[in-house]
Amino acid sequence: MIRIESEPWAEMVAHARETYPNECCGAMLGSTDGERKAVSAAIRLRNAFEGAQATRYELRPEDLLAADKAARERHMDLIGIYHSHPDCDAYFSKTDLQNSCPWYSFVVISIQKGEFHHANSWLPNFDQTEAAKEELIY
Amino acid sequence: MAKVLIPTPLRQFTGKQDAVSVSGATVGEVLNSLTAQYPDLRKQIFTDEGKVRSFVNVYLNDEDIRYLSKDATETKDGDTLSLVPSIAGGSTVAAPPEKSALSKEEILRYSRHLIIPEVGIEGQQKLKAAKVLLVGTGGLGAPLGLYLAAAGIGKIGLVDFDTVDFTNLQRQVIHFTSDVGRRKIESASEKMKAINPFVEIVPHEVALSSENALDILKDYDIIVDGTDNFPTRYLVNDACVLLGKPNVYGSIFRFEGQATVFAYEGGPCYRCLYPEPPPPGLVPSCAEGGVLGILPGTIGLIQATETVKLILGIGQPLVGRLLLYDALGMKFRELKLRKNPECPVCGTHPTVTRLIDYHQFCGVPQAAPAVQETKVNEGEIDVVELKQKLDRGDNFVLIDVREPHEYKICSIPGSKLIPLGEFPQHVGEFDKDADIVIHCRSGMRSAKACAVLRQHGFQHVRNVVGGILAWSDKVDPSVPKY
Repeated sequence: MIRIESEPWAEMVAHARETYPNECCGAMLGSTDGERKAVSAAIRLRNAFEGAQATRYELRPEDLLAADKAARERHMDLIGIYHSHPDCDAYFSKTDLQNSCPWYSFVVISIQKGEFHHANSWLPNFDQTEAAKEELIY
Repeated sequence: MAKVLIPTPLRQFTGKQDAVSVSGATVGEVLNSLTAQYPDLRKQIFTDEGKVRSFVNVYLNDEDIRYLSKDATETKDGDTLSLVPSIAGGSTVAAPPEKSALSKEEILRYSRHLIIPEVGIEGQQKLKAAKVLLVGTGGLGAPLGLYLAAAGIGKIGLVDFDTVDFTNLQRQVIHFTSDVGRRKIESASEKMKAINPFVEIVPHEVALSSENALDILKDYDIIVDGTDNFPTRYLVNDACVLLGKPNVYGSIFRFEGQATVFAYEGGPCYRCLYPEPPPPGLVPSCAEGGVLGILPGTIGLIQATETVKLILGIGQPLVGRLLLYDALGMKFRELKLRKNPECPVCGTHPTVTRLIDYHQFCGVPQAAPAVQETKVNEGEIDVVELKQKLDRGDNFVLIDVREPHEYKICSIPGSKLIPLGEFPQHVGEFDKDADIVIHCRSGMRSAKACAVLRQHGFQHVRNVVGGILAWSDKVDPSVPKY
């Protein structure tokens, strides 16, 4: 289960809306207690995909490393990654899966015609072949 | 001792510690002793084969070890190691296209599609909303253009800057005998429009290049590669990967063909299959090696089928599978293709992130200027001089190094046939001081044969510039060209 507090949630949705029709991406910071995760801050990261960003995003490891450092400095943990799917459902696509990592929760935000539509959180497996849906509360 | 920072989700395996100090002289040693100390961590970082998992990047302080000495990168006291996953993704499926309503005339025209449940009105509307780019309107482009237009693809872009010639007609069925000499793009558009006036044709009469490719390709949903040269093939592949567009690939040679879909939804790309082009001249083109005229029909229509399936989103796309077709055995086979994590363009850590100079990459010089005066260099002879030599009855040996089936098409009187492949075994038959002249079709193979003789110490060896093609142009027009 992953719970996103209202402040980071508003930030993530605003980021997704501002970036529409392109995909946005960012990191979620907070704390974990076993299977229960709580997100208390969101950090916007750069979509580094070279090409059409309407259907793709890419996180530079350097940026993720910086986000991890920021989390440590704020005594928080990096617990997830979020990105948006403009005009598309919040499913975990093949591209998402094949470029994912089993360590984190992946929140996908569906933005339809520029407005928030729905969101899901996913937990990919090691082989990057499947992702289980994680309960998402916001 | 180096400090390894442990990502949050992995701290459950390190007794909740967010950093662990480990000894080791290199990054590889540090990681090994770390996972020896915390065995549950091993599965997170290494595969069963002991390789670092594809999604894991290792940073020493602020530097990716891939750009240092990888596993062998030395570590000193006070160094910090971080494990950072590589993450990317995307919806990939482009935003659902606006629904394009079908007119009464279109409904009648596409009725045999509309009554298939898998296509229906909705599928036909997807086809109408689709934008497909055909690179090349030659052997593969011909059936593709005809059938994709007939199927009702809304917008079809054509890339070609060639003109129709007589040797095209045996297979490029979109061009007719009366089109010889016309621009291919004009000839192809005309036929496609005649088949289906509802289709919009966008001509791009240019040579696709690193400068214009992204700009041309970006407006299309699917790119279909119908080229037969390596620089363009790599260019189309890389541009498709960079733009995230599927590349429907086909290639043909004599009686055999291949087809697959590259760069689709995280599937492999052309470079996963062939990271590097073959040495120039090793793989002959259709012009050099010939092709059964029907073959591009078969392969082109497999490409057309895959294109339509991708648009409709039905069936199993030909992704991760290379389809091999053997016309003589009339057999299809399939090879599994895997995405190469180390692929320079679509791998986890791509090194090709923009288009490069593909002519240089493939070792092919840029096309020579169109009008090139054939200059006769030392060691060469012009066909006119050869004719004079023959007429004078000079004492010399004329060798033809083409294949027997080519010799049957045409030959120069008095020539002795020794195919290039058998040539080295015959070197001993000639007198080193003899006057020797060698020819082939265009002068390439005979140049190689001349080099062989010179290596054996022959003094008077000359290559016929332009081969029997030049003979036909300048000496005897009754000799057919092929």
